[in-house]
Amino acid sequence: MSLAISAPSSRAWLAGLVSHAALIVLTLLLAYLALRAPNFLDAQNLTAILRQSAPLAILACGLSVVVIGGGDDVVSGGIDLSLPAAAVLGAGIISYQLSVAGSGLGTALLFGLPAVLAVGAANSLLVVGIGLTPLLATLATSVAVSGLTKLITSNRRINVSNRAIDWVRDGDIGGIPASMLLALLVFAGLAFLVHRTRWGAHLQAIGASRAVASLTGLPTRKSVALSYGLAAAAAAVAAIAILARGSGSSPGSEEPLLLEMVLATFLGGAFSRRRIVTVWGALLGAVLVTALSTGFALLQVNIFWVSGIKGGLILLVLVAAALDERLRR
Amino acid sequence: MTQSSFVSTLGRTLAGGLIGGISLLALAAGAASAQDLSLAGKTIGVAVVGTQHFWDREAFKGATEEIEKLGGTVVPTDGGRDNQVHANNHDVFITRKVDAVITILGDASVDPKLKALKAAGIPVFTVDHLSPEAVNNTASDNYFTGSQIGILLAKAIGGKGKVAVFNAFSGSLQFCGVRYDLWKYVLEDFPEIEIIKPELAEVFANSPEDARKQTLALLEQHPKGTLDAIHVACWDQPAIGVVQAIEEAGRAGDVVVTAVDAGPETLEIIAEKDSPFVANIAQQPYLIGKTAAENVARHFAGEKLLSQTFVPVIPVDGPEEAKRVYKQLGYGTIN
Repeated sequence: MSLAISAPSSRAWLAGLVSHAALIVLTLLLAYLALRAPNFLDAQNLTAILRQSAPLAILACGLSVVVIGGGDDVVSGGIDLSLPAAAVLGAGIISYQLSVAGSGLGTALLFGLPAVLAVGAANSLLVVGIGLTPLLATLATSVAVSGLTKLITSNRRINVSNRAIDWVRDGDIGGIPASMLLALLVFAGLAFLVHRTRWGAHLQAIGASRAVASLTGLPTRKSVALSYGLAAAAAAVAAIAILARGSGSSPGSEEPLLLEMVLATFLGGAFSRRRIVTVWGALLGAVLVTALSTGFALLQVNIFWVSGIKGGLILLVLVAAALDERLRR
Repeated sequence: MTQSSFVSTLGRTLAGGLIGGISLLALAAGAASAQDLSLAGKTIGVAVVGTQHFWDREAFKGATEEIEKLGGTVVPTDGGRDNQVHANNHDVFITRKVDAVITILGDASVDPKLKALKAAGIPVFTVDHLSPEAVNNTASDNYFTGSQIGILLAKAIGGKGKVAVFNAFSGSLQFCGVRYDLWKYVLEDFPEIEIIKPELAEVFANSPEDARKQTLALLEQHPKGTLDAIHVACWDQPAIGVVQAIEEAGRAGDVVVTAVDAGPETLEIIAEKDSPFVANIAQQPYLIGKTAAENVARHFAGEKLLSQTFVPVIPVDGPEEAKRVYKQLGYGTIN
């Protein structure tokens, strides 16, 4: 890290600019929205943003744990692209149980949540047990899990009307939307595990350098395997948030979540001093990505531009991270 | 003559004449004189689930252009054919404090948002989305639509044979349920027609390509002589892919296709010589959107609206009728 300081000043300046590029663009975008989008800063709009961002925030926090443990190299590092598909599978199973099979909520959760955890176990096995590249392994599980969801739901939307689920959608405690409270619980749990425990410190060390961690005798395989399990546990909670938000399950809801989850998680890295992915960065990233969507909708920006802008932001974040790495060397 | 005035003239003609008997409610809604209507000084939110498809786009255009014609201001949102994005977009209308909302399509995920709008004192008008929160829903006459396409399908296959159906939405979208149920009700009169189980389920976005793949697999499972028709129960975007698959597999002349909506792109396919796509029911999405906007103005003028306004549809049976309806609805001419 200290190398940047001793580098020629123009280069250090460039490195600084590159590593802050995503943050600068995001700040400019949000400032523009705050000024131009009507009533963007209204309490009502801010609450709507929090409410809408819950499923994304939960998934992004989950993904951050995998990235922290696997390293943030985009190709060979830790990533779990199957989290949205796993969460949507959970939402599909719970919906099916509630509305088609006529089960109670307890039974429905008993079917749905373990299924999401099983996806995490499969990822652990593929990545740690067999040694596949996380990017490709989780892409494959994502496709497989989406297929399973279509089978279970017959590729149809299932409406759900359940008091507890409705409360997660509409309720609040002390003005904080219930769905956001779920997200905060997941955040607090994961942030504590990763940033406040010995296990978390080891996981971060493993993510920084697998080889070094291995040499010092850290249980790298076990820790990385557990990170996929924790991410899947987050996805299980996200299943409930997705189910509540949509008043049921719809096939294909994983697709937009995938793009936004990756964006939120890596954007979150831009907030940390060392430009590394963190759990709190992912949470903040998710809220800001949702704020962007809402702001653009308020400004009546064409929806296809919004996808383009989000895709562009992901590229910017990844390019900045890659250049940052090179310039610091 | 502009398209909108053409369509509205046509709509009145149809409502009064061709199938007026079935569309009494459309007449009832048309009773207020259009000249007195005004939305001057009003801001109206218009949410549409997507603008990729002709139907969505036309209904949206009909609503927004009519609002502006009546002196109102439009706050538009577009869900990009994603029901969740579409639902979330309704938060914008509360934030912008609009005077009324027209919401086009959408599944049950939009209902809590409509409830919130109503609670905020904003009257909601829906298009193809029946909701207790709405003042009024404007839609095609889906009862006539469903039964007519059933009759046309039965006719196309000589009253007997095996029929596969794409039916993803009869359980989740009320108007799709009406179209499917009445189609099936008519087919019950033909004991020699068999509906193949399990039914197929199309996707909501990118449906032509998905339907193409599903149809290729279906044609593999049901070789020549064991499948006579494929029906798309609620719309016709998937039918584009169904027709492609039938032609790719060399099954044209063996399997016919029927569907519902009949925008210009599918009318063009029906108009082709020896097209497998034999029948459709043409909706008037522009007129539907326009009628919803007029209903908002009627509501503000103090008129009591029925909870549903039905807009007439036009059955399309074969290539010649496709050409005629194409011209009649102002889409141009097919030679």
